Amino acid sequence: MLITVCSLLCVLCSCSPPKEGIYKKSKILMDTLVTITVVSGTKENAEKAIDTAFLELENLEKRASFFSPESEISRINSNAGVSGVKVSSDILAILSRSLYVSEKTSGAFDISIGTVSSLYDFHKQIKPDLYIIRKNLPLVNYRDIIIDENKSSVFLKKKNMRIDTGGIAKGFAADKAVEILKKQGIHSGIVAVAGEIKTFGLKPDGKPWKIGIRNPRATDREDDIMATTELTDMAISTSGDYERFFVSEGKRYHHLLDPKTGLPAGDCMSVTVIAKEAVFTDAFATGVFILGPEKGLKLLDEMGFEGIIVDSRGKMHLTSGIRGKVEFKKAS
Amino acid sequence: MIVLSLSGIVFIREVLPKNQSARVEVDGKLVYILPLDKNRIISVDGPIGKTYIEIHDHRVRITGSPCQNKLCIKQGWMASGAIVCLPNRVIVTIGNSGETKPIDAST
Repeated sequence: MLITVCSLLCVLCSCSPPKEGIYKKSKILMDTLVTITVVSGTKENAEKAIDTAFLELENLEKRASFFSPESEISRINSNAGVSGVKVSSDILAILSRSLYVSEKTSGAFDISIGTVSSLYDFHKQIKPDLYIIRKNLPLVNYRDIIIDENKSSVFLKKKNMRIDTGGIAKGFAADKAVEILKKQGIHSGIVAVAGEIKTFGLKPDGKPWKIGIRNPRATDREDDIMATTELTDMAISTSGDYERFFVSEGKRYHHLLDPKTGLPAGDCMSVTVIAKEAVFTDAFATGVFILGPEKGLKLLDEMGFEGIIVDSRGKMHLTSGIRGKVEFKKAS
Repeated sequence: MIVLSLSGIVFIREVLPKNQSARVEVDGKLVYILPLDKNRIISVDGPIGKTYIEIHDHRVRITGSPCQNKLCIKQGWMASGAIVCLPNRVIVTIGNSGETKPIDAST
């Protein structure tokens, strides 16, 4: 009898498909925390896919880094005003999308802000003199970034110009990682490169992924999340003045610099953008932050993106299609 | 009999304690897996110095760090999720990797 029961159990176990689980791994890459979450039947398959995606992101980091002298971005910068530099297809894609977002945001998003942003040090709480900022501002102009698609080369027209892809490369990386995971047979997951998040597929319980949107003025863990949204096959990013900042003489100096002034943009506390691709949610969140609530909201609607803008007084501005898609936490 | 045996398996899976632990990684390398049921303080060496991690009553916090802004210390006690110190490249992940949480990611 016991043998029969055991045999039956063995048959039952072998017939049932492996139960899908959620597997997650984090790594510090691109100067931030990258977390990859996947749904898989086995831990081994999940880890193999995640590690392959991490490897691809490490390669991308080496090419896109603003700080590493060997990166493609650094080679473009060191040849500014001298000659064009041949780059990989990924860097070409990041730069051409950067210029697209610059055009759409009327220059509010501009990767040539690197010339001015490198004058700040947010860790050491150093802000440059106004005189030095103004002296460098003529070097900030995305129209002076010349891309030759046929030759896969990039040329910065003015000497001492510097591009910094920090406002778009993380979103691009999230899209890229999802591509790699899908090639590895993963049909569902999330890639979060800091706050640049790309979701795909559904959770094992058939539900979409639940994403929390941070409160830009959270005082403790209880009010850290101001809203949640459920996403699948969509990306979401937030740019906020609370990410990298210091306060000097009562003024908040954050990393979202207005390319027109070289100073931190002052009309918003945070901007969240929801769209298909993380490369665009990342860059448009920055661009809209700099444009401010009025122009920013108009642009999001024109682009067909959804978004939440928290202005400098804490008032929320929502795109027309977002109501019903985001659940706001009630104030206690 | 079969039903009894099957329900037994389900019962054992639900009743057995889950392996709650804290994984400590430095610069991408796993250096500790620490059970949360033993109170202790450990230190790990990162690229800029020592990070001190305390486990107490199934919760984890960073008590000392060489980083400038001390955001990792300000995160306070955590019973799940992750504590990260970017400058010293330390990640402490708490709980099971596959556990279900109310929020899957935040932006």
